[in-house]
Amino acid sequence: MTPFERQLKKALERREPSDGFTDRVLMRVHQQDRIDPSLRNGFLQRIRSWRLIPVLAGALIITGGIAVQRYEREARGEAAKRQLMVAMRIAGSKLHGAQMAVREVEQ
Amino acid sequence: MTTVAGGIDSRQSDAALPSFAETVDVHKAMVFSIGWHFLRDRVAAEELAQDVFLQLYRNWTTMKSPDHVLFWLRKITSHRAIDLVRRRKIRPETSLEEAGEPTVLERVQDSLLSSYLERMVASLPERQRMAIVLRYQEDMDPDEIAKVLDMKVSSVKTLISRGLELLRAKTGRRLGITEYKDSHDTV
Repeated sequence: MTPFERQLKKALERREPSDGFTDRVLMRVHQQDRIDPSLRNGFLQRIRSWRLIPVLAGALIITGGIAVQRYEREARGEAAKRQLMVAMRIAGSKLHGAQMAVREVEQ
Repeated sequence: MTTVAGGIDSRQSDAALPSFAETVDVHKAMVFSIGWHFLRDRVAAEELAQDVFLQLYRNWTTMKSPDHVLFWLRKITSHRAIDLVRRRKIRPETSLEEAGEPTVLERVQDSLLSSYLERMVASLPERQRMAIVLRYQEDMDPDEIAKVLDMKVSSVKTLISRGLELLRAKTGRRLGITEYKDSHDTV
């Protein structure tokens, strides 16, 4: 270290703040605690994670709702398909009966 | 429930870390002095130091060790001080060029020379000033300063060496101390 750096180091020595500094800091800490007690012991951070629970529950409900709706739509589609098949079978047999009747008349 | 500061008590869960109150006591001179040497305003420096400790209290549960606390305090104090100057446009009492000629008394009285140097440091640009303060007040090496100021080590070295050059030239010229003019720094 050069003489100049030593002089600089001496000029920049640490200094003490005015008397009662620690007490003033602690007083501000207590005031803050009174205003916002949730700051104690990182409680705020825990609160933040608790806040995630309703959000996650909401997301679960929405996803479940969408799945149920999809299942119901598919079930309705299947039922409609079955009904159509039955109707076509009935129509087919009626048509067959009519054809048979026409042939008997012709003979 | 006891508060962290509190009783002002102790942090029972982590024996390695002293209580918040003890931490304030141990580091108050360091935090206040960074503010004082940077701002050259006692009231602003004390206010800054209080704000830094209040922020430490809010983050107390995340502190892992005394070394972590020390690093955190230096980092937050440095950044807050720089922000404060930029936000409020706080100007140093004197610019480097405007710094007055030392009196004859200053040539012989060491404490006045120190005071002159302090004023000169306070007139440096913000980042350079903070690098010089951390280097010579806190005895930190450029690697540590780079981590605190989020800068490259090479940039820190350049800042310090140019700052020293400026201060040395100015002081040597003003005080007529020739030994300052050709000495090589140890950065």
